Amino acid sequence: MKQIKDFVSRFQTRISLDKNLLVKRRDRYFLLDDSLKRLISKDFFYAGTYLGKTKRGKFFPSFNLLRMIAEEKANKVIVDKKTEWLFICGRDIFKQGITEVMGSKRKGDYTLILNQHGECLGFGRILCNPDKAKDGVVIENISDIGDFLRREK
Amino acid sequence: MSAKKFFETRYEKLGWEYEDVKPRQAIRINFINAKKANVVKRLQSLGIELQKIPFLKNGYWIRKSEFSVGATSEYLLGLYSIQEAAAQIPATLFTELEDKVVLDACAAPGGKTVQLADLMRNTGVIIALDIKKRRLTALSNHLERCRVRNAIVYHMDARQASRVKVKFDRILLDVSCSGNFVTDKDWFKKRTNKDVERNARLQREILTEAAKVLKDDGEIVYATCSLEPEENELNIDWAIKSLKLKVEKINCYGEKALTSVFGKKLDSSVEHCGRIWPGQTQGFFVCKLKKRGCAQ
Repeated sequence: MKQIKDFVSRFQTRISLDKNLLVKRRDRYFLLDDSLKRLISKDFFYAGTYLGKTKRGKFFPSFNLLRMIAEEKANKVIVDKKTEWLFICGRDIFKQGITEVMGSKRKGDYTLILNQHGECLGFGRILCNPDKAKDGVVIENISDIGDFLRREK
Repeated sequence: MSAKKFFETRYEKLGWEYEDVKPRQAIRINFINAKKANVVKRLQSLGIELQKIPFLKNGYWIRKSEFSVGATSEYLLGLYSIQEAAAQIPATLFTELEDKVVLDACAAPGGKTVQLADLMRNTGVIIALDIKKRRLTALSNHLERCRVRNAIVYHMDARQASRVKVKFDRILLDVSCSGNFVTDKDWFKKRTNKDVERNARLQREILTEAAKVLKDDGEIVYATCSLEPEENELNIDWAIKSLKLKVEKINCYGEKALTSVFGKKLDSSVEHCGRIWPGQTQGFFVCKLKKRGCAQ
């Protein structure tokens, strides 16, 4: 639970998770609802909303968790159509591709990357304040939804 | 006689003349994720030509696309799934799904599990089983991508479904089967009548277990993508006689199922099942079953 909260706080926000509905299976966290909790047995493989996993002490969020953060007031960057596709292909974000910044612009903070429809594409680390940068890479890609394709390989 | 000729002759005896059918790619809009987004317009703006599938509410055929429809933002955001047209039919045959406890007994890779969750509006519970552990990862990725929140996945053989100690309102048996030549160009080289008989036995075992874990007023939808009557009409005829199940009328694309197979007369209610010969879609068989003695 602490790892999830610490991760979420890096977007300068909080989300409420009912710890009674949070379950850990091996290194993976899942959020259930009351119906699922009533029926689940301990040897499940996947359940409810997958939130992320820990590996060697580090937390790796799921895209469900990123979407949950995106519903809150949090650090967000909206990108144009071309940048959306480049980001999904694993690229970093150039200043020219950003159409709007919400929340922190501070170097080192995490920010969600959204498309023009407000849909969450992943997240990255701010490398330099987009307002102050003349051009070049301003956000480093950490995780993007293109991962669903890469996982299949 | 070649294997191809053997099966062609069988199909002729069942009333269908073999024709070479090319598979058509189809998608299904995930209504629950896409209600705010006009997915069709978005795909058309990418140059993808879509054709509404007349017998499906949320299904579209891909008429033309310069690139893979599995490599768009909209796909990766879970706004639609790639799912063959006939394969979209079984989940739509249940009468009600919201807030129900549903078993998806042979779930991986999860196309129909996601569709069930969509029809259930993410309410109730889906228990999804699959016997092959490595396929569970693909299933889990599919659930995460399509934002399914109401499923519990177990690594389990459908023939042991009673181990989860739950009685189900709805059971989807999209059972492992011999498949058909439309989706596998080497099908005729690979398949023999022995495979068909082995699969039919396995399917009967799964049907037997499903009948055990079904609530008295519950529904089973049984589906295969096999054209072979042993896996379809003959299995359902057996289920009627051996498992105290009855066939419910369904209204879907396809023909009435066969009630006479290679000279054997089957229970007349088997005609209420649906048989889809390859043509606009791949080959498919669907059937809805209830326990005998329960009120309509």
